[in-house]
Amino acid sequence: MNRKASILILALAALHLALLFTGFLAPCDPIAQDRDLPYAPPTRLHFRDTSGWHLRPFVYALQPGPDGYIEDRSQSFLVRLMVRGNKYKLLGLVPLDWHLIGVDQPGKIALLGTDEFGRDEFSRVLYGGQISVAAGILATLVALTAGATFGVVAGYYGWIVDEALMGATELFLCLPWLYFLLGVRAFLPLHLSATRTFFLLTAVIGLIGWARPARLVRGIVLTARTRNYVLAAKGFGGSDSYVMRRHILPEVMSVLVAQAALLVPRYIAAEVTLSFFGLGVNEPTASWGNMLSVLQRYSVLVSYQWLLAPAVALVITSVIYGLLADALLSRLEFQST
Amino acid sequence: MKFTVRLALLVCLIAVPCLASGPSPEKPNPGEELFRADQTSGHYGGNLSIGGRAEPKTFNPVIATDAVSREITGRMMADLIEINRASQQTEPALAKSWKISPDGRTFTLQLRKGIRFSDGQPFDADDVVFSFGLYLDKNVDAPQRDLLVIDGKPLTVTKVDRYTVRFSLPRPYASAERLFDGLAMLPKHLLEKPYREGKFVETWSLNASPAEIAGLGPFRLKQFVPGQRVVLERNPYYWKMDSKNQRLPYLDEITFLFVGTEDAQVMRFEAGETSMISRLGSENYNLLAHERDRTHAQLVDMGPSLEYNFLLFTQNDLSDKKLDGIARKQKWFRELKFRQAVSAAIDRDSIVRMVYGTRGVALWGNVGPGNKLWLNNAIPHPQRSLENARNLLKSAGFSWNQSGNLLDPAGAEVEFSIITSSSNAQRMKMATLLQDDLSHLGMQVHVVPLEFRALIDRVFQSFDYDAAIMGLGGGDADPNPEMNVWISSGTSHLWHLHETEPATAWEREVDELMQQQMITLDYGKRKQLYDRVQELIAEQLPFIFLATPNILAAADPRVGNFHPASLDPYTLWNADELYIRTPMESAGVR
Amino acid sequence: MKYLALRLIRAVLLLLGVSVLCFLFTEMAPGSFFDEMRLNPQVSPDTIASLRSRYGLDQPLVVRYGRWVHSALRADFGYSIAYNSPVAPLLWTRAKNTLLLNTAAMVLTWLISVPLGVWIATLRRSAWDRAIDGLNSILISLPEIVVAVAVLAIVVRWRVLPVGGMSSVDQDALSHWARAREIATRMLLPVMILTLVEAGIIVRHVRAAVLEILDAPFVQAGRALGISNVRLMLRHVLPVAANPIISLFGLSLAGLLSGSLLIEAICGWPGLGPLILDATLARDLYLVIGGIMLSTLFMLGGNLIADAMLLACDPRIRTGRADES
Repeated sequence: MNRKASILILALAALHLALLFTGFLAPCDPIAQDRDLPYAPPTRLHFRDTSGWHLRPFVYALQPGPDGYIEDRSQSFLVRLMVRGNKYKLLGLVPLDWHLIGVDQPGKIALLGTDEFGRDEFSRVLYGGQISVAAGILATLVALTAGATFGVVAGYYGWIVDEALMGATELFLCLPWLYFLLGVRAFLPLHLSATRTFFLLTAVIGLIGWARPARLVRGIVLTARTRNYVLAAKGFGGSDSYVMRRHILPEVMSVLVAQAALLVPRYIAAEVTLSFFGLGVNEPTASWGNMLSVLQRYSVLVSYQWLLAPAVALVITSVIYGLLADALLSRLEFQST
Repeated sequence: MKFTVRLALLVCLIAVPCLASGPSPEKPNPGEELFRADQTSGHYGGNLSIGGRAEPKTFNPVIATDAVSREITGRMMADLIEINRASQQTEPALAKSWKISPDGRTFTLQLRKGIRFSDGQPFDADDVVFSFGLYLDKNVDAPQRDLLVIDGKPLTVTKVDRYTVRFSLPRPYASAERLFDGLAMLPKHLLEKPYREGKFVETWSLNASPAEIAGLGPFRLKQFVPGQRVVLERNPYYWKMDSKNQRLPYLDEITFLFVGTEDAQVMRFEAGETSMISRLGSENYNLLAHERDRTHAQLVDMGPSLEYNFLLFTQNDLSDKKLDGIARKQKWFRELKFRQAVSAAIDRDSIVRMVYGTRGVALWGNVGPGNKLWLNNAIPHPQRSLENARNLLKSAGFSWNQSGNLLDPAGAEVEFSIITSSSNAQRMKMATLLQDDLSHLGMQVHVVPLEFRALIDRVFQSFDYDAAIMGLGGGDADPNPEMNVWISSGTSHLWHLHETEPATAWEREVDELMQQQMITLDYGKRKQLYDRVQELIAEQLPFIFLATPNILAAADPRVGNFHPASLDPYTLWNADELYIRTPMESAGVR
Repeated sequence: MKYLALRLIRAVLLLLGVSVLCFLFTEMAPGSFFDEMRLNPQVSPDTIASLRSRYGLDQPLVVRYGRWVHSALRADFGYSIAYNSPVAPLLWTRAKNTLLLNTAAMVLTWLISVPLGVWIATLRRSAWDRAIDGLNSILISLPEIVVAVAVLAIVVRWRVLPVGGMSSVDQDALSHWARAREIATRMLLPVMILTLVEAGIIVRHVRAAVLEILDAPFVQAGRALGISNVRLMLRHVLPVAANPIISLFGLSLAGLLSGSLLIEAICGWPGLGPLILDATLARDLYLVIGGIMLSTLFMLGGNLIADAMLLACDPRIRTGRADES
């Protein structure tokens, strides 16, 4: 089990590193359009041509063909490591223009193909992940913190406090949030900078999302507070906050961890809805949420399957988080017995 | 399971007389003056399924405001004079002929004799007078009323005799007979009572039983299943017959399935559950074209539509609103050279290629090549030139800073937002392309998708926006329906609403020209006037025109007389002529 | 008794609160139903204004709310502007379809998940347990939209099931049995998606809860005493493990009307979800508010049942309460 957990932690670290160093890993500028190359399939790497095998892979230029694109074998471009390309700021601070892989000009390498504007999908998935994963994690933290606080307070004190807070959760779960989103959009200034959009995303999702975890937590706490050790702690003069912190909270942790693993991918996907109301990340910035809207298009499912990359990336991320949450849960169970 | 389902559907779709579930058409009798469609032939039988966006909201043609309700009620109703969607000209419908007085103000229409409603009751001038009374009644608030009010005065309707009706217009109105298309003739014998009781608005709702509804259209209501489908059956008393004197329509039934988005419609079409798609985007069209060898589907590209998409900069009067930021930017937007520069920098070819998959046409004016009657061919189509754009900006006092950002004459960076409807994928794409185009000029453009009604609110009410991408037109080829867009007091004069008088000299000229063409009855003279209007609009760029899509439609190979048109309803305008071919006929057609 | 009275007061307060907030939210949102007509250059603003006042849209918020409450008390929930007919029958027709779908999904989900969860808990760290757990993790991690689209794509690609609607074209020709079978076939796809989405979580919680209890001393004591495994499970373990599961059950019940909006929209099931969504976008106020109130009622019911079950299953809560009164 330890080995499994270490593999997962390594995978998570790799994922996060990839998202931190997107500028370096992404071969292209995510917003640079190439209007001659929309919907290009993933570039094929070749190791062999008429003169035999080569160590260094190369790619061919693409020409429009009857059914999409065909490779133009007369023009080949070598793939190189450590290439100078478009400028970016590493970690938002250091201006650099080195990229891990690249291709001699004027060739283009699109590892996951291009989208409808000819923008490199691979770069967009990387850059998009930065925003989406961060937003998802932050939103989950907000929702769970609020939910856990309210749930513990409600469950612990019971009676009127419980009724009031549970009434509030019911209110939150019932309301027409779509209207609320419309109203929020109307009040905000028309253009929001990227950071503001980001925080707005998290705030809205967190604001709407605290109710469900609160109910689950409250249920646990209702039982937990009647446990012997809790009664004993109170008997010994422990204050309410001490008891809540020291004895109740650990019980609740398992539910919270399980919820966290669930909510992060859900909140990332929720951005699709928010974009419809103008509250998402706007063009041309990439985010998995606004790239996921292609899932509804039939032509994408049939002809341009490489555009499903953000969905695959989301699935991979969610699975890693989910499995890690499991490992954490098993450790918690182990500890509590 | 799959096989049996397909077999069952096949049986449904193919004409098998013993399974015909619609009422048989009444034999034409000598007392009826039927319309003879000389070019039409086909045979009876079959059920056509067509997918729709949503369910209708009502079966009442006066109340129906949404497209789906209008499409369905349109098959059940008929008008006095109809616009043939293929030729875009008017043709006699319930009125077999009409005479216009020399001053163009009086129309005397002769109705067809012996025509009956779908419930068998006779149709005559009383129904016409009643229908127009309904449309003109202020308490009913029919949107059609505005069509019939010219210069603040409504037209008047008088019954001359049982089959003759006279219309008097307050003043001459060009192409007045086009007004009659879309004004359904309603049955007095069914609707007079609820109307007198003040309950008209609630009649013919979705709860109405088929027996309560009667119309003069080719079909009548058979069944409505909430959330799922509407089934229309043949009107046995329909007033048209084909070249062999058989009474139309050919189809026994039409079923509208509420499928949803265009992608869902394509899925159902491919699965064989629907036989026709009214309007496709180019991506789905190309997808179906790929499969054509296998499916033999009929795919038709009708050429450019009559819509126009444009970029709009707000030039509204913001003095009583607290929108200082936008007011500041209006200095740029009001500068003609700024708008010309933007227009010069836009890559219209890419829009046509990437947004419409080459199935579209670039526009430089409000009338596109789809409108053959009114297009002004002399309007210049300047090619994209960033150099021209930069020169224009320079001559208007703009400059560039170190990082390449555009600065206005006062030194502020040029930055603005373009709003567009998030539910319209094509316009969103255009916005992204424009954003990129204008970045080459150093402008910082933000794309802001908004929910549809939120967008309308900003453009029409709060004026809280910088620029917007929108689309208009597509209703009719004639210039008159567009009056309110181009005259300065017009309610759709989007770039500068609520003008009490024309804000500029050219708008004054447009006002005069439009008013003049409205009362000019001669087509040649009207065309000259409207040409000048188009010239002015293309010069002054209140809207920066982008592109228009082609009308694309698809049908199962078994659908006969499938002739889509460039005007709405694209595929069902000739629903009375559609028929289901037998397998042998389909094979022959291939 | 006191408890019930308190719940009742809370329910009424909730309904009031929801209705007030609904009206407030709809007021905040820009745009109104007749805005679509503004785009038509041939319709005058006078007509639009007149239509607005006919439906009372130009009245101040307080007046509208007052009138709505007044008629709601007489079971008249207002008029739909789009459909020009009363709200309640419109809602109920569609709500029936959603209830059918969600009840079937819930039954299937719980029937599969609870035994599955208990079973793999007993298997404990075996290969089966690890395999199912792994698959479960993956399934749970997938957001709903991904699962829905993936299943839909598979079904469409291989034409396995009919997609969309609740019945095929010629319903009337079929007998009751055939009709039921037809509906069941069309229901398979959305029920499958709903089950896939929900089952994982429930299995997870059941397994965790059972595992926790299995190690408890009283269970080991029971085994030592010779009580059979089955009896042990049913009589001693499950009632105690039930706590989080009951909360989940309550949430499922509460979401019976509202939980399947996305799936209904994607699969074309004619339920309440798409109706309310369209009404929201069209600003058909009273239809939306009616729909929200209906969902609230269901939520209240679901939570009440869940809390009652919680009380019944865990006597400690009851006595906890008794101490404080």
